[in-house]
Formats: sequence, structure tokens, C-alpha cells
Amino acid sequence: MDILIISFSNSDYDRAAQGVAGAGRNLATVLGGRLRAVVIGPGNAAMNSRLAAVADEVIVADQAELAEYQPEIFLQALTSICRDAAPAAVLFGNDTYSQELAPRLAHRLSGSAAGDGIELAVDNGAIRVRRSVYGGKAVATIELKRSPAVLWLRARAFEPAPEKDSATAAITRPAVDLSMRAPTQIIERKSEGAGEARLEDARVIISGGRGLGGPEPFADLQDVAGLIGAQLAASRAACDSGWCPPSWQVGQTGKKVAPGLYIAVAIRGASQHMAGISDARVIAAINIDADAPIFKHCRFGIVEDYKNVIPLLKEKLAALQR
Amino acid sequence: MNIIVCLKQILDPEVPARDFRIDAEKKEAVRGTANLVTNIFCENALETALQLREKTGGRITALVFAPESGEDALRKALAMKADEAVLVINDGHPHPDPLAVAHVLAAAISKIGVFDLVMVGRESGDWGVGQTGGLLAEELGVPCISFVDNLENGTDGLIVTRQTDNGWEKARSTTPLVVTITNNEYNVPRIPKTRDIMMSARQPITRLTLDEIGVDAASIRAGGNYYEIVDISIPVKEVTCEFVTGDSLDERVDQFAKRIIEVTQAL
Amino acid sequence: MIDQQIATRQVLWNITHDWVMYVLFAVSLAIAGYGIYLRLSIWRRGVAVDRFDRPAERIKLLLRHALLQGRTVRERYAAIFHSFIFTGFIILFIATTVVMLDHRFGIPIMRGAFYLYFQSFVVDVFGAMVLVGVGIATVRRAVIRPKKLVYTDEALRILALIFLMALTGFLIEGWRIAATNDPWGAWSPFGYLVARLSESLMSVETMTTAHLWTWWLHSALVFGFIAWAPYTKLIHILTGPLNIYTARLDPSGVILKTLDFENQDAPLGVKTLANFTWKDLADFDACTECGRCTQVCPANTVGKSLSPRDIILDLRDLIRAGGSDPMLAFEQPVVNAVPATAAEALWECTTCGACMEACPVFIEQMPKILDLRRFQVMEESDFPETMQEAITSLESRGHPFRGTQSTRVDWAEGLNVSIMADARDADVLFWVGCGGALIERNQKVVRATARLLEKAGVRFAILGREEKCTGDPARRIGNEFLYDMMVRENVDLLNGYGVKQIVTSCPHCFNTFLNEYPQFGGRFEVWHHSEFLSKLIEDGRLALSEKLDASVTFHDPCYLGRHNGRFDAPRQIVRIASRSSVEMAQTRENGFCCGGGGGMSFVDEPKDKRVNQERARQALETGADVVAVGCPFCMTMLEDGINARKGDRDVRVMDVAEILWQTMEVESKK
Repeated sequence: MDILIISFSNSDYDRAAQGVAGAGRNLATVLGGRLRAVVIGPGNAAMNSRLAAVADEVIVADQAELAEYQPEIFLQALTSICRDAAPAAVLFGNDTYSQELAPRLAHRLSGSAAGDGIELAVDNGAIRVRRSVYGGKAVATIELKRSPAVLWLRARAFEPAPEKDSATAAITRPAVDLSMRAPTQIIERKSEGAGEARLEDARVIISGGRGLGGPEPFADLQDVAGLIGAQLAASRAACDSGWCPPSWQVGQTGKKVAPGLYIAVAIRGASQHMAGISDARVIAAINIDADAPIFKHCRFGIVEDYKNVIPLLKEKLAALQR
Repeated sequence: MNIIVCLKQILDPEVPARDFRIDAEKKEAVRGTANLVTNIFCENALETALQLREKTGGRITALVFAPESGEDALRKALAMKADEAVLVINDGHPHPDPLAVAHVLAAAISKIGVFDLVMVGRESGDWGVGQTGGLLAEELGVPCISFVDNLENGTDGLIVTRQTDNGWEKARSTTPLVVTITNNEYNVPRIPKTRDIMMSARQPITRLTLDEIGVDAASIRAGGNYYEIVDISIPVKEVTCEFVTGDSLDERVDQFAKRIIEVTQAL
Repeated sequence: MIDQQIATRQVLWNITHDWVMYVLFAVSLAIAGYGIYLRLSIWRRGVAVDRFDRPAERIKLLLRHALLQGRTVRERYAAIFHSFIFTGFIILFIATTVVMLDHRFGIPIMRGAFYLYFQSFVVDVFGAMVLVGVGIATVRRAVIRPKKLVYTDEALRILALIFLMALTGFLIEGWRIAATNDPWGAWSPFGYLVARLSESLMSVETMTTAHLWTWWLHSALVFGFIAWAPYTKLIHILTGPLNIYTARLDPSGVILKTLDFENQDAPLGVKTLANFTWKDLADFDACTECGRCTQVCPANTVGKSLSPRDIILDLRDLIRAGGSDPMLAFEQPVVNAVPATAAEALWECTTCGACMEACPVFIEQMPKILDLRRFQVMEESDFPETMQEAITSLESRGHPFRGTQSTRVDWAEGLNVSIMADARDADVLFWVGCGGALIERNQKVVRATARLLEKAGVRFAILGREEKCTGDPARRIGNEFLYDMMVRENVDLLNGYGVKQIVTSCPHCFNTFLNEYPQFGGRFEVWHHSEFLSKLIEDGRLALSEKLDASVTFHDPCYLGRHNGRFDAPRQIVRIASRSSVEMAQTRENGFCCGGGGGMSFVDEPKDKRVNQERARQALETGADVVAVGCPFCMTMLEDGINARKGDRDVRVMDVAEILWQTMEVESKK
């Protein structure tokens, strides 16, 4: 049985898409089927050829009607393609469009959907997904009872698929009937810089505290943040001292954030501060005092004056990111 | 405008991790001394509905599929000034799968009758499935827009604003329509007035059984036809901080940087 | 030497047509009476409340605080001039009565030694004291100009009037003495002085004529005073004592009214003035404008807008602006009706009760703020977002700390603490409190407390996961509905376990159990941990030979100290467990709030207006090494404040139980 992976052509073959492809390749191997990539949206030749080096077939849906994302039309197109392909599984990333379409697609294909997968397995021919539940307090394994399994994945949790040197897969363009009158029409879209995202939604946060001793170090933290796509935040003490805007304040009386990684720099970690980051998945800290309460909540940390750490850290991160 | 807001009652997501236990048999969290609360995104949905009604007029029906305890969620919805409350009684089907839920809700909505808009939360704070809205739209055969945080009445149809990964989109839509609601700074659920809480205790709640809405109870058995929870466990959490080691500061910071990259890449 | 037995003086002397005086008197009484009637008719619009029970206690209060001016004299400057004027008026009133009895009713009492010692000498001296008092008061108003006063023309007119009344009194006395050559004149030293001075300047005829006119002027001034007084702050001469007589008799912890949620017609809390009790309305008319409440208000001290004085005065003026038709004032919502009741100010009150403690006439400012909060919370649902979060958390989790990662029993890890459900024979329930169990810093405090109890062999248990908030924050924020519900649940739980004795390390829980739970059928012997531990030491069950090598200053928690009058037990612990102890400038009943009461610990104060920092400043001023506290909220507020202000100094904040436990640990290590 084949595996379909869905990519939206308005993005690149980025880390997320690579993870989805990796997960798809593994699944295809286990189930003994082909990995077929679907690229939907306006023509994106670069992406098509990247995927042709990864998948066994690339199905391109780039008709005029798909020039921009419209949920009902895209859903119609995917339904039609999937029906024809009759896959065992359809894999998405966990972007907005994927999450919007996956359950509905599953319904139309009489399959089952599950989301936010961090691990895939096959048990007795049935596809199982591991995902975190109860706000990260537990992990569940879900077995999908209907076929196809329509899944959206936390793509970065999966290794990228091996890529061949050349794009050898066939690229097909099946005709899809999209002559529908969509009841909903997206009429305006706006992208905002990633830096403007709300702190509450940030995936990585670097936060500075009283120990910074002044506003200047925040500029250094900003550099580090830039390297790993993080947003800046601060403890109440730092905000109170006027070193940063009040909107950065995290804690009991500030914002409650839930990043995947929270790096606390020169923050002792009073319980009022911790109350704001209780949903953070991983907390890391840089603090001069090994007894600072923050370390009790950390996955990893470094005991050192932040002044010595930050310049080095910038270097190292820049090198690692290359 | 007739708006139906579907609400889910969940175990208080703020149970501290150290108090959190799993019932391996039932494959769900142990309730312990924790309360049941209305899922936050559902409350955002109700708040959005209330604000829309302030602009367009109309009626809001709060709909819950739950055991008798679901009455609490409906009372709160009434206290927040929903017009009507409907409880579809879940009599002995612990955590039904998302399709079963959507099926029940769709049947209940058909029973309620005319509607322009169905609003649900984008996902729940317990299982975080994030499918109810989409499946419900399909069950009802109406379009769906996800991650919505604002609705207005436009000249021809509703103008719906939704959040995307890096910005927002505006859509025009006919009704009926299903939307899943996410939070923004404007739809923080209102705190009901005490007087309204007191009044809500006396307001009627329509109770419907699965029979009455024409759903075959057998079709929504736990461990359902859609998917099944085969295992649930509490991940072993590193309670102790791992201090990076190394002979020199350079080495330690290098370790630290590597851990950061490791974690961010897994996100 | 003439026989003193016959000493007296002529009454009226050269005044004829004295019936005119009685007519004037009657007229002035009528005008005054109408003024009083106006006030009374306002009070009658208020809600009924019984403040005339327990008359013996009330009379005692009246003697202490009206007659002996118990609170007025706490401020030295005011003590001097007010007691001069106050006692002067009383003595002169008695003297006038004596004249009337003797002259009008023919009771011969104004004779002999009584005449000479009292009616002449004493009265003369007190009359002079009135003049001096007015002078001192005028200096304060015109020269010193303290910020707490309200500067009105009325106040100046009152001083001028009193001055003129006294002055004309002395003039007519002096002229009478001189013109009649009164043999006893020297017994009235100041009148005598006027007589001697006048003699050198005026003829007898001039003095007689001057006396005639001045006498009538004096009468006019006095009757004018009587007629005018009820329309000014002078009404406090009547309303002050009345207010003291009808004051609350219980500790201020008991002061808040419970609400009847069955009777749903009345607004919850106070919407319009008509929802206040008659006593609340009478409070407005009792105010002397002394400004002490605002002076001691912690929120006001750090520069916030809350001013208890202005709440009282603005509302009083709002009512008076309506004259005899106060309907307008009574129809509009009180919140935002006047600048002082602006909604934002209401959310600055820490409910510390300093305002009530400071008021010489026992006005109850804080409960009025709470009444308005209740309306804002329960009827309008309009209150600060962070307080809303606390309320929501109380509703669904039974504690106000959203986002806490602790459980109710984390603090007891490694200790062998019994849970009530398993240890029903425990003598004492140790009520840990949310602040103790869920705020990391305070976990050390309750841990120390539990270990001390264990060491002393106390058979105690905790409720563990069954424990919930007592309801205090809900009540102080203004959600009486939630409070009511929580109390009833807790009372059922506690009575179900047959709890008799409760020890708690949280003064808010302490106050709620002690003063409020009985109203809901929960009657327990309630101990603050400092009292219980202090008693264990006294009973010899905890012995300590070591002392903490530090100078310690104790910060009074408002709900232990001022609201309940418990000042000594924690100090006793500090005294015996530390090298030395030192008091802050504002201490005991004048203690300054940490800033955390009344739900304020859930609010982010503007950084330049923080009550905790002001208190930290006061604590640091003592030079102490350790700031001792007895409350989880004081702990977090003061630790925050001390850390922000201590600079390089090594100053710690410790709970009294921690201090005690530390000495035990030192001892056991030896």
C-alpha cells in the first residue's frame, strides 16, 4: 500500500516537509508500498524536483483553481487525488492548512485521522501514532481503525528522508475536476514577521532576569534569539527595572507562555515566575548560582556568569546552525 | 443569526504534573480531587459568539455531549448569557472517538434545527485531538474554517478572520458554516456576573438522549470505529537538571549550545 | 476679707429684655434641629442594621473614645488643640447650665467655693484654653499645612467663630468685673486681666455700653454657632459620639456583612447610596476631615489614588449637594460617582484596616470599599484581570494561584505528616493554607511549623488534597457568592471530621476561621501558628537554648495584628529565639501593610507605587538582619521588597516558625 505525503507549494521543502517525507519513507518501507508526494498549490518547480529526489512519484496539482489556498477547493483536489491513489496513509505537516484539511479529508475518504504525531509505528498492519496528550503530561498511542490513516505530524520530530542525487521520480499531473462553487473564499491574507508572533505562541523563548543588571545585555540575548528563532521575554524584576517593555513580562502577573524551549538567563526562578512557564516543555538556564531555584525545573543548565556564556554561545550556535 | 456553540468539559488542565495520574485500565487520566472545567478554546468560542450576537443579534445555543456533569458547563454558558442549553447525555461511553462525537453533535444540531453558524474550540486541553470541527462540518455537509478568532457580518456573507502560521487570513463565507475558534486578546472568556450565575441555576436545560437524536448508542462505543487509544503513559521526566560538563568554559558552552539545537530541532 | 460662702456674681447685670435671648435660642435650636433632621432623614434611607445591642460595652467605648478622646490624642499636635477646645466647650457648657439652673430655676448652686473655684477660676482657664487651642489649630492650618487636611473656608470660619465667641466672652466678663467692681473678680484671672486693662482705657459708662452690645454680640455668635453647626463638619460634636456608640464592637475581622443570596432583588453589594446601611450613611456625617485614614493608608502612602478620607467626604458632599432632595445622589451608582470612588481606586485597597484603626470617630471606610467591590465583581463583573484569574482558579481549583506547579502535599515530602482522613483521632488540624502549600518559598515555613509540632509531640494532621482555600481572597476581592459557597463546603468538611482545634500559619485563614466561620456554623478553637508555638514553649514542650545570632524586626500581619489584636506571641518567639529584636517605626496596631491583602497580591502594582517596597524600606531602616513575618503573603511581598531594596546588605525574610526551627537545628547539630 502506498503512502502519500502532502506538501503545500507555497512553502519550501523545508525541515518540516523533510520530516514528513522521512516519516512517509519509513512507513512505505514497512508496508511495502511506494512513497508518493503530492504538491498542491501554484507551480513550484524547485519543490517538485526536490521531492522527485525523495519520493517514488510526485503528483503535482497546480491547476489555475489552486493558485492560492482555498480550503474547500484544496480539500476537493486532495480528496480526488487520494481517492485515485488509494493509499494506506496520507501524511501532513502540522501547519495551519494541514490541520484544517486532514480531518475533513479523512472523513471524505472514510478513513481515520490523528494529529500531532511524534512517532509512527505499524502493528499487525494497523498504523499507530504516538502523540502527547493532557497538555504534555502524558503520551498516548493511538491505533487508527479505518483506512486510510490521515495524519498530521510534528514534522521536526522525524528524521528527513534520504535524498537521492538526482530527481528520478516521475512527475504526474492528474486532471482534477475543480469546477465547484466554493461556499467560502479567502479574500485577504497577511503574513507578519515571525518576530511579531505573540509570546504565548512562541516556540522558543529566551528570557532575561534581574541578574542581567541592566538593559544592555538584552541586545546580546536578541542576537542569540535571532540564531535559533526565539523570542525575547523577561522576568518581572527586569521589566520593573525598565530594561525591557512590560509586554515581555512572563510570570504569575505577566504572560503565561508554553514554548518548546525556554532559556532563562540570569533568572533565579521564583515561583511567581515559574507559574508563567509551567507549560514550557523544556527549560534551560544560565545562572551563576547553582542553588537558584530555576535549576530545579531545568532539563539542562550551565552554572556560570551569563556575561561569560553569551558571547561564546553566539559563536557556537552560529557554527552549529551552519 | 442562530449560533450553536459546542462545548467540551474536560479535566482541569492545570492539575500539577506531580498530581497527574493515569488509569491504565481505562486509558485516561485519573480525576482525583481535580475539577471538570469547560475547555478553554470552547469558552473562547462562546465568547466570540457572544460578541457576534452583540453585533448581529440572534440566539446562541450551547450544546454539550457529556454525562450529567456536563450540566455545569451549560450552567456556566447560560451564566455567560447563552440563550439556550442542550445536553446530549452520554450514558456510559467514556471518551468516545472524535468521529463519534462529531456524529452525535451533528445529530443533535439537526434535532435543534435551523442554524447559521456552529462554533467549536480548535482543540481540547485534554486529548488535544483538534478534529471535532472538521469532522462535524463533514457530518453536517457544510464548509469549515479553522483557527478563527473573529467574525463579522459582511455585505454578502460572513467575514471570518483566522490565524495562520505567520499571519492571518480573511474569508468570506455563506452560511451555514462551521468554524473552529482559537484565542486572541479579544475573546478572553468573560467572567459571568454573579447575578447571572444565580439566574442560570433556574434556567431550563434541554436534555436529549442518543435515542432521541437518532444515534445508535452501539456505534459510539469506547475504543471506537475511528481510532482507539491503545496505550497511555506518563513520560519519565528528568526531574534533575543536567549541568553541562567540560574541562573548559568553551567546552561547556559548546555542550549547552548543542543541547539547545537538539531541542529546537525536535520542535 | 469677705466670707467666701456668699461669693457669687450678678447674672445678666445690665442686660434687659433677656427674653429676646430665649427667642434667639429657640430660633437657633430650630435651625439646628432642622439640620439634624436633614441628616437623620438621609440616614433613614439606609439599610437597617442593629448597632444598639450590648449597651454596656457601647457606653464604655463612648467614655473611652468620646469623652477621653482615646484615638484623637494619638496624634500629639491634634491632641493638644482638640482637647483644649473640646474640654473648654464642655466646661463652658456646664458653666452655662449652672447659670441657668441658678438664675432661671432658682437653684442656688452658683455660690461660695463652687462659684469661686469652678464657675470663676476653672471656667476662666478653660475659656482661655479654647482661645489657645484655636490659635494652635490656626497655626497648623495656616503655617504647618499638613497634607492630610482638607483646606476649606468652612474650617477657617469655624475657627474664627470659636475665637470670637471666646474673645467676646472674656470681654463682657472683664467689663462686668470692672464696672461692677466685682469683689471676686480676681478668681477669674483672664476676665480680671481684661478688667484691669480696660479700666486704664475706658470709663465705667463706656464699659457698660460696650458690655451691653458685646453681650448681645456674644449671644448672637453662640446662637449662630448652634444653628450653623449641623450644616458643617461641626456636626461631629453630635455624630462623633453617636458614631462611637454605634461602632462595631467585634474585631475588625468580623466587620463584613454576609449577603442573603436567596433575596435576589437587592443589588449584590452597593450600587447606590441607598444600598448602604444607615450606619454607613451616618459615617459620612461623622467625619471631622482630620485625614488620618488617608495618611495611614498604605496605597495612598505610596502614591496611589485611593483615599479613604475622600471617599467619605466626596460622598458626603454628593449627598449634601442635593440639599433636602438628595434623590439625585441616591439614584446613581456610587462607583465613579465622585473622583474618590473611581473604579481603579477601589482595586488599590489591601483591606489592611489602618484607616478604620486611625479614625477618631470610628468611621468604617474599608467595608464601604468592599461593598463597592462586591457590586463591581458580582453585578458588573468588572475588575482587574489578574484578580479574575485568581477567582477563576478558586472556582475550579480551590486555590487562587493559577499556574502553580506544586501540589497541596509537596511541602510535606519526607516528613511523617498524617492526613486527616487516616488520622481521625488527631487533636489538632494543621491548616496549611494555599499560600503555605503552593508557594515554594512558604513551603519551608509550613515544613518548619510541622516539624516543630512534631517535636513538641502534638498529635496533628493535615487535610492534604482535601484542603481548599478558606474563601478569604474571594471575599476580599468582592466575590461574596463564591466565598459563601467555599465557606459552606469547608464547614461541612471540617465538621465532618469533628475538628475542634485549628492551627494555621496564614493570618488570613486564621481571621476567616476565627471571625467568619462561626456565622456559618463552623466553631473551632483557632490558633495562629505563632500563638500555638509560643504556648508550646511556655508549656515546656519546646525547649530552646540556642538563639539565632541576628537582630530581628517583626512585621505585623494585618489580619493577625490590627484586625485581631494579636501582637505578642510572634514577638515572644522573636525575643527568645534571637539575639536581639527591634521594632519598626510603624508597628502593632499602627503596622504598615505588606501590600498583599485584599487580593492585591494578585495584582501587578505600578513599579514606582509598591506598598511592599515602602514596608521593606521601613524594615531596612531598623538595621535588622532578619525581617520576621507570620504570613505567607507578607513573606512573598516583603521578600520581593527587601530583595529590591537591600542593595549589598545581607537581610533575610524569615517566618517566626523558621526562626524557631533554625535555633532547634543549631542545637541538635551541637
